[in-house]
Amino acid sequence: MSSVLQNLVNKPYEHGFVTDIESDTAAKGLSEDTIRFISAKKDEPQWLLDFRLKAYQHWLTMTPPAWANVHYPPVDFQAISYYSAPKAKKKLASMDEVDPELLKTFEKLGVPMNERAKLAGVAVDVIFDSVSVATTYKAKLAEVGIIFCSISEAVHNHPELVQKYLGSVVPTGDNFYAGLNSAVFTDGSFCFIPKGVKCPMDLSTYFRINTESSGQFERTLIIAEEGATVSYLEGCTAPKFDTNQLHAAVVELVALDNADIKYSTVQNWYAGDENGVGGIYNFVTKRGLCKGVNSRISWTQVETGSAITWKYPSCILRGDNSVGEFYSVALTNHYQQADTGTKMIHIGKNTRSKIVSKGISAGHSNNSYRGLVRIAPTASGARNYSQCDSMLIGDQCGANTFPYIDVRNPGAKVEHEASTSKIGEDQLFYFAQRGIGAEEAVSMIINGFCKDVFQQLPMEFAVEATKLLGVKLEGSVG
Amino acid sequence: MTAATNKSFLADLLAGRPTADRGDAMSRLRARAVERVGALTVPNTHDEDWRFTDISPLTRLSFQPVRAATKLSAADIAPFVLAEAASRLVFVDGIYAPQLSTPASGPVVLSSLAAALPVQAIAIETELGRMAAFEHNAFTALNTAFVNDGALLLLPRGAVAEKPVHLLFIATQKEVASYPRCLVVAGAGSSATVIEDYVALTEDAYLTNTVGEFVLGEDARLHHVRVQRESSAGFHVGHSAVSIAHGSHYHGVNVGFGARLSRYNLDMVQTAEGGECTIGGLAMVDDNQLADTHTTIDHTKPHGVSRQQHKCIVGGSARAVFNGRIVVRKGAQLTNSTQSSRNLLLSDRARVDTKPQLEIFADDVKCTHGATVGQLEADEVFYLKSRGLSDAAARSLLTYAFGAEILRQISVSELRQRLEQTVLAQTERA
Repeated sequence: MSSVLQNLVNKPYEHGFVTDIESDTAAKGLSEDTIRFISAKKDEPQWLLDFRLKAYQHWLTMTPPAWANVHYPPVDFQAISYYSAPKAKKKLASMDEVDPELLKTFEKLGVPMNERAKLAGVAVDVIFDSVSVATTYKAKLAEVGIIFCSISEAVHNHPELVQKYLGSVVPTGDNFYAGLNSAVFTDGSFCFIPKGVKCPMDLSTYFRINTESSGQFERTLIIAEEGATVSYLEGCTAPKFDTNQLHAAVVELVALDNADIKYSTVQNWYAGDENGVGGIYNFVTKRGLCKGVNSRISWTQVETGSAITWKYPSCILRGDNSVGEFYSVALTNHYQQADTGTKMIHIGKNTRSKIVSKGISAGHSNNSYRGLVRIAPTASGARNYSQCDSMLIGDQCGANTFPYIDVRNPGAKVEHEASTSKIGEDQLFYFAQRGIGAEEAVSMIINGFCKDVFQQLPMEFAVEATKLLGVKLEGSVG
Repeated sequence: MTAATNKSFLADLLAGRPTADRGDAMSRLRARAVERVGALTVPNTHDEDWRFTDISPLTRLSFQPVRAATKLSAADIAPFVLAEAASRLVFVDGIYAPQLSTPASGPVVLSSLAAALPVQAIAIETELGRMAAFEHNAFTALNTAFVNDGALLLLPRGAVAEKPVHLLFIATQKEVASYPRCLVVAGAGSSATVIEDYVALTEDAYLTNTVGEFVLGEDARLHHVRVQRESSAGFHVGHSAVSIAHGSHYHGVNVGFGARLSRYNLDMVQTAEGGECTIGGLAMVDDNQLADTHTTIDHTKPHGVSRQQHKCIVGGSARAVFNGRIVVRKGAQLTNSTQSSRNLLLSDRARVDTKPQLEIFADDVKCTHGATVGQLEADEVFYLKSRGLSDAAARSLLTYAFGAEILRQISVSELRQRLEQTVLAQTERA
C-alpha cells in the first residue's frame, strides 16, 4: 500500500524545460543604478522612478521577515538579475508573428493560446518572463470600457489611474518583499473595470518564469469601480532549475461601492526535486481593499508548487457591509514548505468574512496556516467564520495552524474551527471493496476534502486543479 | 522602552536575592538562574510570546524583595481558609508562615521546601528546576534566582491524599516582589488534590512572580486548582510546568479574577505513552485589567489524550489574551486532542486576542480546536426576559452560566461555591 502511495507522490515535474530565446538581461545586483536602468529601459515617467527609489530607500532599512514557519538559507539579493525581457521586436500584427519558440512553450504547457483563448472565451495577457508579449481580446474588452493590459502599458496610456492606485493598498514600506517589489517590479497586469460594467469574460494572466536566476517581480493592479464586477484568473508554472529562484510579486485589488472582484490562482511552480534541491521561493504580498459599501473581494487559491510559499492574500473591509472571502488549498510534498493564510481586517460596520483553508502535507513537507482576523472597534455587527482543515499523508510531514483572532468590538461574532485528519486504512479498504484502487481512492478522498474550495474556482480551473492534485500526490499516499 | 531600562529592571529586581551559598542543590540552581537573568531581557511586544501583552506598566515601577515579614493572625487569613482542606501551607509575601500552616509528614509529605531540604535532598535536587525551564523565560529565571523556600508536596508510590491540600499565598506589602515556588511530586499510582491560591490583603501595587512544578509518575492522578485573586493593582506572573507519565492524569483548573496585569504560562509535557490531561481555564476581567494565558500541551509520545477548554469574560476596557499551543511530535501517533477557546465581550472597549495553535508532525492523530468571540446571544436574553427576568438579571445569569461551566470542574465544593459567588458578584456589578 505505502509503496503505491510513494510512487504517487514522486511524479516528476512535467513543465521543466527552458525556452531558448535571447533575452535582454540586466547584470546581477541591486543598487539605485539598477532601478534607474529598469526605469529607463521601460521608458517610465519621473513619478514612477521616484516611487521606486523611495521604496528602495525604505527597503534598505528593512530585514527579511523571520516569523514565518519556513527555513531557507538567506537570499543574496545581489546575486539576482532584476531585469530580463525578450528582445524588443517590431510590433506584432497578429498571433502568427509571435516567436514560434514562445508559442511552442505554451504548447508544452498545454495552453494553445490562440485556440484556447477563443474556445474558452478567455482573454490571456501573457507574461513571458517580465514583459507582456501578446494580449488578446483587448478590443472586445475596450468596447465596454475595460482596460486590461500590462502595467507598463498602463503607465504610459493611463498614468492618472496607475498613479492614483499604485501602492494605495500595499504601501511601499509594507513589508520586506513588497518593498523590494515596489523598487524593482518589471511588469504585470493592470485591469480597470469602469462604473457599472460587468466584465463579459474571465480575465486571465499566464505567468511563467523563464531565464535562469532572474527573479520575477510582477505587479498586478485591479480596480473595480462602483458596481463593477470582474473575475480574474492567474495560473503559474515554471521550468526546472537547480538554483533557487526568488519570486516576490505584489497584487493590489481595489473595490469601490458595490463592486465585486474574484481573484483565482493556481500555482504550480517548480517545487524542487524529491530531495528538496532547487525550487522557487514564492514570497508574495496580495491584498484587496473593499473601499466602498457592499463591495466584495474573494480570493481562491490552489497552491501546489514552489519550494517555499509565503503568501497571505488579505482583505481590508473598510466599506460598510463589505465582504471578504478566502478559499485555499495548499498541498506540499517532498521538502516543500508553505506558510500561507489570510488576513481579514474588519473596519466597516456589518462586514463579513469567510475563510476556508485546506492544507495537505505529504513526504517531509511542512504546511502551516497562518491567519489573522481583526475586528476593529468600529466594526459593529462584523461576522467571521474560519475553517482550517489539515490532512497528513505519511508520518514525516507537519501541519500547523496559527490563527490570530483579535476582537475589539463586542457586537462582532468570530468563529474558528480547525481539525486534522489522515486518509484512513479503513477508507481505502472501503474503496478497495468496491474495486477502486488506492491511487484513485486517494484522489477521490482528496478531492472530497477540497470540494469547498474547488467549487469556488471557475470551471476550467476547477478541472485543472483537480488533475493537478492527483498528479502532485502520485506515489505519496499509502 | 530601551534595552538599558530593560536590563536595569531585571538587575534591580535581582539586587535583593539570597546570596548565601550553602553548597547545596538550591544554591547551585540559584547561581545558574542568576547567570541566565543576566543574559535575558524583559520581554516586549516585539517578542511573539508577548505580542499582545505590554508589560511596561510593570517595568515602570520598582519592586524590592520583602524586608520584614508581615505577622498575620489566624483571624486575618480566616476568609481564605478552606475547612475541606486538611492541611495547609501559608506564605506571606513569599515567606513561609509556620504559625498559620498545618504541614503533614505522614506518608504524604507537605512541608516548606527549606525545612524538607535536609531530609528530602535527593527528591528536591532531582526535581526542583527540572521542568520549569528558564533558559528563555526571564520571569522564571528570576523566580529561580530567588528560590530559597516554597511549598513541597511529596506523594510516595500509591499514596492517596484524601483531603485537598491548600497552598495559600498572601500579598500584604506595597511595592514588594515575592517569588513563591511550588514543587509537587506525585509518585506512581498516587492521587491528590492541590489548591494553589493567590490572594491579597493590600490594595497597592506589588509583584507576584511564581513558579510551580508538577511531576506525575505512572498512573498518578492530580487535580490542580489554581486560583489567582490578586488585588486590582497587583501584578501576577505565573508559570506551571507539568509532566505526565504513562497512565497518569492531570486535571488542571486555573481561574483568574485579579491583578491589573496577569500572565500565566502552563507548560504540559506528556513524557510517556498514554498520559492524559484535562485543562480548564477561566479569566474574568474588568476595568483596565489584562489577563494573559499561554498554554502549551506537548504530546511527545503516542496515545496521549488532552482536553482543554478556556473561557474569558471581558468587561470595561479590559483585555484578555489566550494563546493555546498544542504540539504533536513525530511519532506521537494516536494522539487525541481537543481545545476550545470561548470568549465573551461585555463592553464596547473590551478586547480579546486569542490564538489556538496546532503544530502536528504525526499523521494518525485526532486534533481539533475551535475559538469563538462574541457577546451574549440576543435570543437567549430574550428567552429569559420572556419568563419575567429583567434585562440585567438575564444578562447576569447568562454570563454566570458561561463561567460556571469551568468552575464546575473544581471538585472542592467549598472553593467552587466561593468562586461562583465571586463570578456572580462581578456579573451583577457589570
